[in-house]
Amino acid sequence: MSAAGADAVGGRKVDGWRWAGRIFILLLSIFAVLPMVWMVLTSIKTQFAALQYPPEWWPKNPTLDQYTTLLNPTSDVGREFLGYLWNSIWVCTVTTILGVVVAVPAAYAFSRFRFPGRAWMFYAVLLRNMFPAVVFLMPLFILMRYLHLVNTGWSLVLTYLTFGLPLSIWLLKGFYDNIPPQLEQAARIDGATRFKAFILIVMPLSSPGIIATAIYSFIISWNEYVYAVTFLNDQDKLTLPVGLQRFFTEYTTNWPGLMAASFIMSVPVVVMFLILQKYFVRALTEGAVKH
Amino acid sequence: MAEVLLRDVVKTYGPFRAVDNVSLKIEDGEFVALVGPSGCGKTTTLNLVAGLIPISGGDIYIGDRLVNDLDPKDRDIAMVFQNYALYPNKTVAKNLAFPLQMRKLPREEIERKVAEAAKVLDITHLLERKPRELSGGQQQRVALGRALVRDPRAFLMDEPLSNLDAKLRVQMRSELKRFHQDLEATVIYVTHDQLEAVTMADKMAVMSGGVLQQYDAPAEVFARPRNMFVASFVGSPAMSLVPLEAAGSGDGVRLVSGDGWSLELSPENARKAKRASSPSVVLGARHSTLRVHKSAVPGAVPGKVYIVEPTGDITFAQIYLGKSIVVVSLEPHVAIAPDEPVWVEFDQTRIHLFDGATQQALTLD
Repeated sequence: MSAAGADAVGGRKVDGWRWAGRIFILLLSIFAVLPMVWMVLTSIKTQFAALQYPPEWWPKNPTLDQYTTLLNPTSDVGREFLGYLWNSIWVCTVTTILGVVVAVPAAYAFSRFRFPGRAWMFYAVLLRNMFPAVVFLMPLFILMRYLHLVNTGWSLVLTYLTFGLPLSIWLLKGFYDNIPPQLEQAARIDGATRFKAFILIVMPLSSPGIIATAIYSFIISWNEYVYAVTFLNDQDKLTLPVGLQRFFTEYTTNWPGLMAASFIMSVPVVVMFLILQKYFVRALTEGAVKH
Repeated sequence: MAEVLLRDVVKTYGPFRAVDNVSLKIEDGEFVALVGPSGCGKTTTLNLVAGLIPISGGDIYIGDRLVNDLDPKDRDIAMVFQNYALYPNKTVAKNLAFPLQMRKLPREEIERKVAEAAKVLDITHLLERKPRELSGGQQQRVALGRALVRDPRAFLMDEPLSNLDAKLRVQMRSELKRFHQDLEATVIYVTHDQLEAVTMADKMAVMSGGVLQQYDAPAEVFARPRNMFVASFVGSPAMSLVPLEAAGSGDGVRLVSGDGWSLELSPENARKAKRASSPSVVLGARHSTLRVHKSAVPGAVPGKVYIVEPTGDITFAQIYLGKSIVVVSLEPHVAIAPDEPVWVEFDQTRIHLFDGATQQALTLD
């Protein structure tokens, strides 16, 4: 009897915690999702409705005007916005491609080869990420001036690589560590060179990791603001985060326009993440546990 | 197929000698097992033959070619790995075809050879599956198929059976042996399981601490172990080893135990014992050569039963002779109980004597 009673109490306790957990997660989700919902709702309101008080919770006359203006290359606003969008895509794509091209062989080398200085080099790549970005703002700016890269997209590509690459290498190394070296050995015995074994056997197996790493480096570049605002001056070179900031100051009254621009900026990130989250989660957890 | 020759092969990692001056000659068509406990250098030796790690010293020949500096792909060997190392993203058919594609064989020939190998191994119905959809035994067959699909000069096998369950292991053991006989293949087979080595190999190379301890036919290794390590490693249960002191009395020699009993050696064994570098002599005896009596018998030494382990057709008993344990085998109907006092009789024609200082076998030649 007493044992059963204790069990029941124990059971209720566990249930209590479980509910507390659920409520916590629910609150957290609301906290995370609500601003985005509000962003989307505001972007389809008329300008007048967006400024109403008390707010119009659900748009009475939804309109896509802001989107058509922003994406219309013949209007001034549209030209400006599409310019920012194009700059962002260019910088992030180049960063991502260069990052993957360097990170893949680097991570493979760290995972497979034993060479002098391997351990400290591996930790050294992380050193850059142990400091806040602002610390490197001035040194990197001066460096970019020496390289005559200030006010070009390349200054951002180089800068993003300095913090994107180390994490990409770490992420990918975990992946390679989990691919048994016997597979490459088998391939080499079966008649492949070391390079062919890598291309034909290891690369296909690590493609989820490579995809995840690429998305990851794309997203951090896409969202970066501090360096972009420091290194770029010309309006036609700005990337989206900085461009958006200019929208804020120039068109303060046009809240639906700003929200539409913000929404368009988040679309690539969200879509990529949703499609490829499977790989992403796998990349972050793989290597954590030995199988 | 070809012979494989290792001459004074050395592999060092810093000051550590993983493989220490190993010389082996594996004849064309011979099945040689490299055995030893984990860390003895057997897998390292195999990887040196395969070319997967660079050699530190000595020479390796495959056929009449010196292969020291050749890439694995140019050595014309096939290897079966402990974890099978099947390419997980390829189907069974593509796994089997891979070595042939790497050698740029024409497509029809690849298809024909894959079908042939699949038929031999009875895996034709699995050709379109991915490795993860196969059982352990099936994966093992595919791994074997990938090795034999292209008729290499030698097969290297690194503990290929140790991931299988006990029943399948025994079955695959016979199949491997049969496969070796049918193909007259040169096989170098690494295992830590001395039973696999004894049952399958033409010759076994027993290794310990990177050093080759003995290289002989299994029966020879079993009957005449060269030192105490080989004696205790080969045979199941292991040979019992009892450390004793030799005491001379004229021509005769008695082996005296610190526990108060002694054993008078036969004249032949006495001559062996006299060759020891010190009075310390180790007496070795296999379980089947010992007889157990329930009452005192001349020549038998007193002991006390420790554990009785019935296995069905044989019962093993561990018996304390003073502080040393010996294992004896008994007919299953013999009634024997723990803590029972017994007398153990050694068969002087079948005991082994070792030099207690050098651990080497004491022989007359």
